[in-house]
Amino acid sequence: MSAPAVRTDRLTKRYGRLLALDELDLTVPAGEVFGFLGPNGAGKSTTIRLLLGMTRPSSGRAWIFDTDAADVAGAHRRLAYVPADVALWPRLTGAEILDLLDRTGPGTDRAYRDELVERFALDPSKPAGAYSTGNRQKVALIAAFATRAPLLVLDEPTSGLDPLMEREFRRAVTEARDEGRTVFLSSHQLAEVEAVCDRVAILRAGRLVDVATVPDLRRLHRTEVLVRFAGPVPDLTAVPGVDSVDPGTDSAVRFTVSGPPGPALRALAAADVTTLTMREPTLEEIFLDYYGETGR
Amino acid sequence: MTAAELRTAGAVPVRPIAGGAYTRLALHQVRRGALVVLAVTAGMSALVATTYESTVGDALDPAALAALAENPAIRTLFGEPVALDSAGGFTVWRTGTVLAVLLSVWGLLAATRITRGEEDAGRWGLLLAGRLALPAVLRRHLTVLCGVMGLTGVAVAGALTAVGTPPAGAAVHGAGLALAGMFAVAAAILAGQVLPTRAGASGAAVALLGLGLLARMVGDGVAALAWLRWLSPYGLLALTRPYREDRALPLVVLALATVVVGAVALALAGRRDVGAGLVAPAAGRAPRRWLLGSVRAFAVRRLLRPLAGWSAGVGAYFLLIGVLAVSMTDFLADNQRFADLAGEAGFAGLGSVRGYTATMFALLAVPVGVFAAVRMAGFAAAEADRRLTGLHAQPITRGRLLGAEVAATGAGAAVLLTVAGAATWLGAAAVDADLPVLAALAGTWNVLPIALLCLGAAVLALGWAPRAVAAAGALPAAGGFLLQVVADSTGAPAWVSRLSPFAHLAAVPDTAPNWPASAVMTALAGAALLAGGYGYRRRDLRG
Repeated sequence: MSAPAVRTDRLTKRYGRLLALDELDLTVPAGEVFGFLGPNGAGKSTTIRLLLGMTRPSSGRAWIFDTDAADVAGAHRRLAYVPADVALWPRLTGAEILDLLDRTGPGTDRAYRDELVERFALDPSKPAGAYSTGNRQKVALIAAFATRAPLLVLDEPTSGLDPLMEREFRRAVTEARDEGRTVFLSSHQLAEVEAVCDRVAILRAGRLVDVATVPDLRRLHRTEVLVRFAGPVPDLTAVPGVDSVDPGTDSAVRFTVSGPPGPALRALAAADVTTLTMREPTLEEIFLDYYGETGR
Repeated sequence: MTAAELRTAGAVPVRPIAGGAYTRLALHQVRRGALVVLAVTAGMSALVATTYESTVGDALDPAALAALAENPAIRTLFGEPVALDSAGGFTVWRTGTVLAVLLSVWGLLAATRITRGEEDAGRWGLLLAGRLALPAVLRRHLTVLCGVMGLTGVAVAGALTAVGTPPAGAAVHGAGLALAGMFAVAAAILAGQVLPTRAGASGAAVALLGLGLLARMVGDGVAALAWLRWLSPYGLLALTRPYREDRALPLVVLALATVVVGAVALALAGRRDVGAGLVAPAAGRAPRRWLLGSVRAFAVRRLLRPLAGWSAGVGAYFLLIGVLAVSMTDFLADNQRFADLAGEAGFAGLGSVRGYTATMFALLAVPVGVFAAVRMAGFAAAEADRRLTGLHAQPITRGRLLGAEVAATGAGAAVLLTVAGAATWLGAAAVDADLPVLAALAGTWNVLPIALLCLGAAVLALGWAPRAVAAAGALPAAGGFLLQVVADSTGAPAWVSRLSPFAHLAAVPDTAPNWPASAVMTALAGAALLAGGYGYRRRDLRG
C-alpha cells in the first residue's frame, strides 16, 4: 500500500502561551478528497502551514508521502498549495506569475493550464495589482491544479469566487480525484465539503474533534423527528436515545433521535400516530452541534 | 424621543466623528522612527555646537574664511559657509544639509509607508468605510507627520539655544529643517495620489528631492545659477543664512510651497478612487517571460528597476565629485588651515586628487550600504505581505531563496560601486585630473566590506528580528558614518570613533588598502550572514 499523502503525529504548535494546535494525529490516504472543517481560529491554517514547513512544530511531526514536512525541497515536489489569502507580485501579469510558478515548481501540464485559464475566465494579460481578490485566487488555483503534484493543499480556496467559478472549482477537484490525486481542502463552506469530500476532519480550538466520512458523520448525529397524533401525546422524555423533546402543540411532538431508533419507535407504536416526518440533519446542523454553545 | 424610538423611526443617534482615532493611528505608526530622528537631529546639532570651541575655536582668520566661502567646490559639496566664526554658524554648515536630507528622506518614506503603503496592502478599505473620506484621513496623516517635523525643529532650536548660540539663528535653522521635512512629507503624499504603488511614490519623491539637492549644489557652486536655490527646499534652507542674516523670506517661500503641495495632494485625493492612483497602470500587456526561470533569475528581475534608479543617483553625484576634483584640491592645497580642519573632521588628505576622491569614496559606503539594507527589507516585506508564499510553497528551500536574494543584492552593490568609480573617473577625466580608471575603481571597491557589513546585518535581522531589517542593515553604514563624524567633530575618545567601520577604511586610492581591516569586516559580515541564514531557515515564516 502506498504511503499516506498526509500524516501527522502529535503535531503541536504553541505561540507563547496560546496553544494553536494540540497533538493533532491525522492520516489522509492517497487518492482521497479530505475536508478540513473548523470555525475561524480553530487552527486550520496553522495545520496547513505546519504541513508546508512554513511554521515549525513545537512538538510532533508531519509527513507528506513519507517525506518529513520540514524537508521542503523534497516534500513540495509532490504538492501544490493555494493559500487562503492570495498575494501576488503586483507588477507581474497573471501569465508571468503562472510562468514563474511553473518554472520553479514541480512541473506543469501546460495544455491543462491553458484550459483552466479559459474555464476560470481569467484574463492573464492583466498585472496582478489590477486583479480582484477572486482573480488572485483563480491564479493560485490554476497554478495548483495544473501542476502534476499528487497532493493539492487548498486553504479556503473559494472564499472569493462567485457561484459559477465555485462550480468550476468543484469540477476541477473531481477531475483531480479521477486522476488519483489527493486533495486536502480546508473550508468552512459546508455545502462545498459535502459536495466534494470523501472524509471530513473537524477541528475545534486546536483539537481534532472528529474524523468521519460524510454519510457517517450524518449517521452519528441526531435525526430530527416530527410526529403528529390523533389521540393523546405519549411522554417520550425518558426514552433512551431521545433528546430535545419539544411538545409543540397538543397533537404533535418534535424530538431528536441519536443512536438506534428502536426504543423511540416502540414508544410511538402504542400511540395513534397520524404523520411521522424524519429529517436528516444538514452538515450545517451537525457543525453547529459541534460548535454551538449547547454542543458537547 | 428615546434612543429606541429614534431607531424605530429610522434615525440613529449621530455620534461626533472620532477623528482623533485616525490621528492616533498615524502617530502609532511613526512614533518610534520619529523619536529616533528627533533625537539624532537635535543631539547632533547640540553636540557639534558645544564642541565648536575645542575643535575649531578661533583658529579661523577672516582671510581664510573668505577663501573658503568663495571656493565653488566647497560651496557645491558642503553648502555655502556663512558664519563659520560662530558655533551656531559652523554647526549649520557642518550638519545642516546632512540633517535636512535625513529628515526629509525619513519623512517621505514614512509618509508613503503609512498612506500609499497601507492602502496598497488593503488595510485602508476598512478605515475608509468609516465616516471620514480619503482626503480627510490623508489630512490627518499629513498633519501628524508635519507635527513630528515641527517638534523636531523646535527641539533643534531649543538645543542650539540651550548650548548658548543666539536664539534668532537657532530659531531660523530649526524652522528651516522642520519646513524642509514638511515639504518632503507633502511631496511624498502628493506622489502617492498620482502613482498607484508605494514603491513608485517613494521613488518619485526621492527623485524630486534628489533634484532639489542637485539644484542646491549647482546653485551654490555656480554664481550665475544661484537663483536655482530658490527652487529647492535645501537651497531655501541655505538662503536663510542662519546666525548671520536670519532671513525669513526663504522660510515663507518654503512654507508656501509646502502648503500648496499639500493642498494639491488633498485635492487630488478627492478625485481618485481608493486603491488607485491618478495614473492608472496599463490594463493589460503581453507577457515578458525573461528572468522568470528560477528564483535566482527572479531575484535579478526584481532588482533591475530599483538598481537603475540607484545607479542614476549615485552616478550623478560621483560624476560631480570627479568634475570638482581639480578646483577642490587646488583650494585645499592653497589653504592649509582648512586642510587641517578637514583632517580633524575625518576628511584628511584633501589636498591631492587621490586624497580628495578617497575621502569622497568613503561616503559611497552610505548609499551602497543603505541600498543593501533596503533590498533585504523589501524581501522581508514580501514575506510579511505573503507575496513570497507562492515561492515558499515550491520545492525550494529557504536557504536557496535567501541565497538568491543575497547574491542579487550583493551583485547590485557591486554594480553601484563600479558605476560610482566609472562616473568619478569620467568627471575627473573631463577636467584633466590625474585619476586613472583603475585607481577610481580601487577606491570605490575599497568600501565593499562596509556594504557587506550592511548586507550581513540585514540578513542577521531577517533571521532573528525580521521587523528590524532596514534599521539593522543601515546601521553599519549610516550609523557608523554619523558616529565617526560626531566623534571626530567633537574630539571624543579614540575608542568611540574606532567602533565605526569607517575608522578602519584606508584612503584608497591615496594609500594602499587596509587589507587586515577589510578581511576582518568581510569575515564579520560573513558570520552575520551565516547566523542570519541559520535563523531564517529555522524560524516561522511571517504572513
